Parts: sequence; C-alpha cells; structure tokens
Amino acid sequence: MSWLPVPARIAIGAAVTALLSLATAGCDGGQIAANVPQSSGQSFVSRSYESTFYQVGHRSAAPAVSGTTITGQRLSLDSYKGKTVVLNFWGSWCPPCRREAPALGTLASQLLPDGVRFVGIDIRDEPAAALAFMQDFNVSYPSLNDPNDEIALQFHSTVPPAAIPTTLIIDRSGRIAARIFGASTYTELKDLVAKVAGLKS
Amino acid sequence: MTTAKGDAMTPAPADGELRAAGPDLADPAGAAATTKPGNGARGGRAGGLRDSRPRGGRLGPTGWLRWFWRQLTSMRTALILLFLLALASVPGSVLPQQGVDPAAVTQYYQSHPSLAPIFNQLGLFNVFSAPWFAAIYLLLFASLAGCVLPRTIRLVGSARQKPPRAPSNLARLPASASYTTDLTPAVALDSAAGMLGGRRFRLQRGDGWVSAEKGYLREVGNLLFHIALLALLISVGLGGIFGYKANRLLIVGQGFANTPTDLDVFHPGRLVSPSDLQPFSINLQSFRAKYVTSGPQLDQPLGYYAGLSYRPQIGGATKHYMLTVNHPLVVDNVSVYLIGHGYAPVFKVTDGTGKVRWDGPVPFIPVQQTTLTSEGVVKVPDARPYQLGFAGVFLPSAVAGAGGQLESAFPGPLNPRVSLVAFKGNLGMNSGQSQSVYSLDTTGLKQLPVAPRPLSAGQSEKLPDGAGTVTYLGYQQWVSLAITYDPGQLPALISGFAALAGLILSFLVRRRRVFVRAVAGPDGGTEVSVGGLARSDAAGGFDTEFAELSQLLRAEHDGRSMRASRVGDGTVDGPADFEDGERPRPAIPAASHVAAGPANAETVAAETVTAQAATAANPETLTGREEE
Repeated sequence: MSWLPVPARIAIGAAVTALLSLATAGCDGGQIAANVPQSSGQSFVSRSYESTFYQVGHRSAAPAVSGTTITGQRLSLDSYKGKTVVLNFWGSWCPPCRREAPALGTLASQLLPDGVRFVGIDIRDEPAAALAFMQDFNVSYPSLNDPNDEIALQFHSTVPPAAIPTTLIIDRSGRIAARIFGASTYTELKDLVAKVAGLKS
Repeated sequence: MTTAKGDAMTPAPADGELRAAGPDLADPAGAAATTKPGNGARGGRAGGLRDSRPRGGRLGPTGWLRWFWRQLTSMRTALILLFLLALASVPGSVLPQQGVDPAAVTQYYQSHPSLAPIFNQLGLFNVFSAPWFAAIYLLLFASLAGCVLPRTIRLVGSARQKPPRAPSNLARLPASASYTTDLTPAVALDSAAGMLGGRRFRLQRGDGWVSAEKGYLREVGNLLFHIALLALLISVGLGGIFGYKANRLLIVGQGFANTPTDLDVFHPGRLVSPSDLQPFSINLQSFRAKYVTSGPQLDQPLGYYAGLSYRPQIGGATKHYMLTVNHPLVVDNVSVYLIGHGYAPVFKVTDGTGKVRWDGPVPFIPVQQTTLTSEGVVKVPDARPYQLGFAGVFLPSAVAGAGGQLESAFPGPLNPRVSLVAFKGNLGMNSGQSQSVYSLDTTGLKQLPVAPRPLSAGQSEKLPDGAGTVTYLGYQQWVSLAITYDPGQLPALISGFAALAGLILSFLVRRRRVFVRAVAGPDGGTEVSVGGLARSDAAGGFDTEFAELSQLLRAEHDGRSMRASRVGDGTVDGPADFEDGERPRPAIPAASHVAAGPANAETVAAETVTAQAATAANPETLTGREEE
C-alpha cells in the first residue's frame, strides 16, 4: 500500500503544476493570429523616478557614441572631451519626455557657460515627429537619431538605460557619474549636474 | 493487519508526545513468527500511520510543530495549495496588471476611483509579485519538497537494504514449494545461494536459511523520479529568477535591440538587470503572409515568413534568418518567436502652419482576425495650432457590405482602405501621464466635423478649422515578436524525462524475495523449502518466475546430489565441487526425486508449474499438499 500511491500522488501534483504553469505562462510560439500585443506599446516610466549618483572610482567609461543627428549632422561624443555631458534618451511619443523637455531646454542654455553640454538620443521615433518636437520645445542642443536603439545598446555593459526617459550625466573624464530614470525636474537635474561638474549652485 | 489493529488499541503514551514509528526499526518478518510473514513490514508501517495523528492528551510545542509539518506535507494540503494558486491567478487575468499594461491600470484608477486604491493595497494590480501569491507558491514548494525529500532519503535506505531474515514457515508465503534432497542442509543452501546469486539476487544467509531479494532497480526508479521532481521544481524556479520574457512589435524596415528601452513589454526575473540582457539586435527586412484564396478554407492563413537580419553581438557580423511560426530564432540561448502580424498604414500629417509633423507608418491592431480589420490611432502632439489625433480603421480588402458599409473580405491587402475620425485639442501627453500608444484619450479633444470616408493610397483629407491635412500614403506590415530567455527550460525538460523514466521503471520492475530453508529430515534426507514473495507485483508474472526458480533450484540440487553420490563413492577424496570446503555426506538416495535427475527436469518443471498455478488460486491448501 505504501509503494505505489506516493509516486502516483506526486505525479498528479506534478501534472497539475505543469498544467497550471502552462496556463499562467501562456504558450510560446503558438497561434499566431490570436496574439495581439495588448500592451501599452512602448515602455516608459510613468510616475516613478529614480536617480543614482556614482562616486568617483565607481564610474564606468561611457562608450564612444557617434551618429547622425535629427537635423542631419555627424556627431561624436568624443568631441565633448573635457566637458560634462548630459545625455538624455527620449522620444517624441513618450509623455514623461515631453514633461521634462522644458526643464532640459532651460538648463542646456543656462549651464552652457559652465562647460556643460546636452546631447539627446532619440529612440524609436519618426524623424518628422522628432523634428517637430525639437521645434515645439525649442530644443537647442543636438539629438542623435537612434531608431533601432543601436546607441542605447552600446551602453549595455555600463549603465544601460532601462526606461525612457533615461538621463545619464558623464563627467569631464568621460565616465558615467549619475543616472536618472523617469522625468527629471529642473532642480533635481540642476543639483545633480552641479554635483558632477563641481559647480556652485 | 491484525498486528496493526492490536497496536492501535494500546493506550497512548502518557506524555501525549507524538512518537516516530518505533516498530519500523526492527524488521518484524523473522521475529513475529506467528503472524503472516509477508505482512510483517506492513504492520510496521501501519504503526507509523497510526502515530501520525495526534491522540489524546496535550501536544507540546514540538508536537504541534511536527503536527503542522505533517499537515503541510500531506497530499490534501498540496492539492489545496495548488487549487489556491489557480484561484489566486484569476485576478491576474481579470484585472489589468501593472507589469503588463500600466496604462490600463491608470485607466482603471480613473474609472473606479474608490475601488482601485483598495485593490492596489491588496496587490491585485500586481498579482504575481504580491506577497500572498508568493506565500502560496512557497508553501506549495515547501509542501512538495517536504514530501519528496524524506521519501528520497527513505528510498536510498530501501535501495541499499539487505534482504530480511527468512520467515520460519515458508509454506505460508504466497508462493512456496518444498522437496527433499540427499544433500546436507549446508550444501543445499550453498548451492541455492550460488544459483540465486548467479541470477543477480542480493543475498543474506543465516543459520539454516538463505534469503534473496531482487528488483532494487525499482527503488532506483523511485529515487530517480523523486530527485527529478525536485530538479524540476528547482529548474522552474531558476527560470523565474534568471529568465525574462518580452514582446516587441516591429514594422518592416525597422529594427530593435534587446534592451529594456526597446521592448514593448518586459517581464524580467527577480535577479535580471538590464545588463544581463543578451545584446543582440534584429531588423525586419520583409514579411509575407500566405492565405487560402478559395474554397471553404478561405481566409485561413497558410504560412507567415518574416525575413530577419540580426547581429548576435554589438558590432558583430550580420546574419539572416527566415522566421516562421514555431521555428524561433535562437540567439545566445534566447528564443525569438513570431507570434502575430498586422498592418501599419503610412500617414503624412501637415498641421495648420503647413509643416509636416508626422510622416511614417503607424501600427494598427487587428480587431477581427479572419479579415484583419484593424484599428489604431495617430497622435501628433507637436501639430500647431492644435494638437491632432486620429482614430482609424484599416480594411485590407475593402468591399461594400450588406448595409452599404465597407468591410474587409480577406486578410490579404487586395484593396486596402483606411477611414479616419479626426480630433483636435489636448492629447494629454505633455502632463507626463503615461498612456497607451494604441488608444486616444478624448477627454481634452474635440472631434472635427469631417464625414469619414475611406481613403485609398495617396488620398488626403483636409481638416476644418485650419487644423491641417492628413494623407494616407499606403501601408507597411508588422510582426509581433516574443522574446523569451529561460535558463531553466532545458534542465526542466531533462528532469521531466528523468521523472517519466523513473516512474516507468518503478512500475515495471517488481521487487521480489525468495527464501530457502534446509533442515535435516527425520529419515536422513534434507527437507528443502522454498518460499517467494513479490512486493507490489503490479505487472504480474511473479508466480511464473517463482515456479521457474524453484524448479531450477530443485534441478540444481538433484544434479548436485548425483555428482555428490559419485564423489561419495570414494574415487575422489576431495570436495571438488564445493568451494567452501564443506564435505558432502555419503549419498543416500533420497526417496523419490534423485532417480529422476536432471534428465527429468522437464517433468518436474511441469509439475511445479501446475502446482504454482493452483497456488495462486489458493495458497494455503496447496502448499500443504505439495509436501507429501
């Protein structure tokens, strides 16, 4: 009586578990037609905001990113050597990016004399819409066009952007000193940039 | 079973403590000579069962703990937990989930302002990471592990066990036979042991008996099953911790990289960070769908072909792959599946100031699978003087329907048409509030008075109020990709197969015991009795095996005594045949069987088999009769 029922009972348990996990996990690669993306579409941060500051000695070097800007010029991060760079990953389709855009635009011109440069990386965007965004928000700094996320991918082993918008602050020696997930505000961003660049705020 | 009953009536220990099954320790088979030997082991187990429920008196803390543990690891609890787990998943599919569709959660907050905060407190918008869900899962895991682990340990013991002592009265076993031989008891036992050992029985010997057991492979199978089951649980856990799932919609001509920012839906495991994602990138170069164009199967898809180019590493060489349904692209152990497709009409939107504010494809989502009638929205937040929004329907093969309205008749793009409803005002995007790219929040919008008319490629619609112009330029196709990384998948598969193999092994192999006793008879011969017992003979067939064995044994003994008698005649002085140096007694021909010798083995076998067939029907009567 004791030999058979236990494997049997476990087998039942295992079968039920397997069925259950199938049911909850869904079936990969099945039914093409029935699968419609029921998502919000592109990922971006809604209300969450997270900023991280990396101490000197704990900063990883930013990759040597280059490409073509939305307005058609060649641009390389190398050309900003010796400057503090604020790198902003954005998209015209992303509401939090639209919210933070005025603050970024204002800071870009305010901090220009302090040797701080702003560069945008426009992700998954339509060129006409991106250009419209730049005009609409009076964005004076250049943005690299990154429709296929190739530039974001180059940050893979450093501080990868995990959401849109993501803002990275790169110090004068070309190392990533701070990271912001979510829409940044004027004061928070200004303080963080000042901290990295060693400015008096 | 009589023993068990008797034990149950004994009074409980005074301290009321739950005691482990004591009677299990000594194998009662030999000791309890008066009871049926085959049930000896069961008596012990019944005792163990009896001890598992609390009896009168109060339980101490350890008692309660032990009681709780037994309850947790019981089958009933495991089933209840499984059921609870299923039940707990229900809100996950009924309510919008934060991880899957944050916009829908936000929407739910707006439509149910009083209910949503309560649901949020209960974790109903994040069911699969809610503490109570984890509690059920972990309890279930503990329950299964708590059941499987001790059993595994017990099975290891069982697989290493030596056969028990031979019971004293072999005639009472389910299968038995007896005969007399003129060998000494010791020689008879030696040769029996040799014969059984040669057939890979595990042996134990004692004074006047040999007991042999075979079929330990059953325990190995059992063990394999249990270990594989634990491995399965762990593998599934591994996948949940280190794996991830993601979705991405990709329009022909577009590409994406495997980074969180570029995935539409991303479900990382608990210990997955963005740097852990394999850095490949994929471009969709072409897409083709084939459909049945006639007959009753009309509109049915025949096949989908997505031509991909991909780079497994950053800056690595570009490779190509034709992605079809159920033939995923595997890059760096990540599987990319083709799970959906649709149309993305291409629009050009010029605003009131004459500037082009949008010029590109917009993915529309199929609302009717058979004809791929699709819906979608176009948002132009940077249009001036008003932000513009459009809600549209795309018909791949437009025909006039019964009511005069256009509808799609075929999923292929035979006569693509798009019709739009235009809005102006505030799209609600500048506040930073997240919203779905597939729906329009019309609270701040005003519908423009334009009679919707189906546009064909190249046609424009001029918007009133100087809001601008929209042009439908044509269409692109898109595919939906599922990206899954599950490091536990292969281990889980292997464990599953191992569990199955173990289960089959434990069902097919029967564990059986054969006992031989030899005593000197009153007439100078040796009385040999053989008894057999199959534990859990589910597949049947032990009776036949036992008949064969006892017949072989008898033939062996008969053969030995023939040779032994020749030896005894004095020509050779040594015990040539007997390695242990036991000297055979001078042969005294035994009453009946010696004369028969090996030549008569056939007849003997026939006798025994018939006898055994009857034994199966009525063991008690027959064993007695065979002794004569």
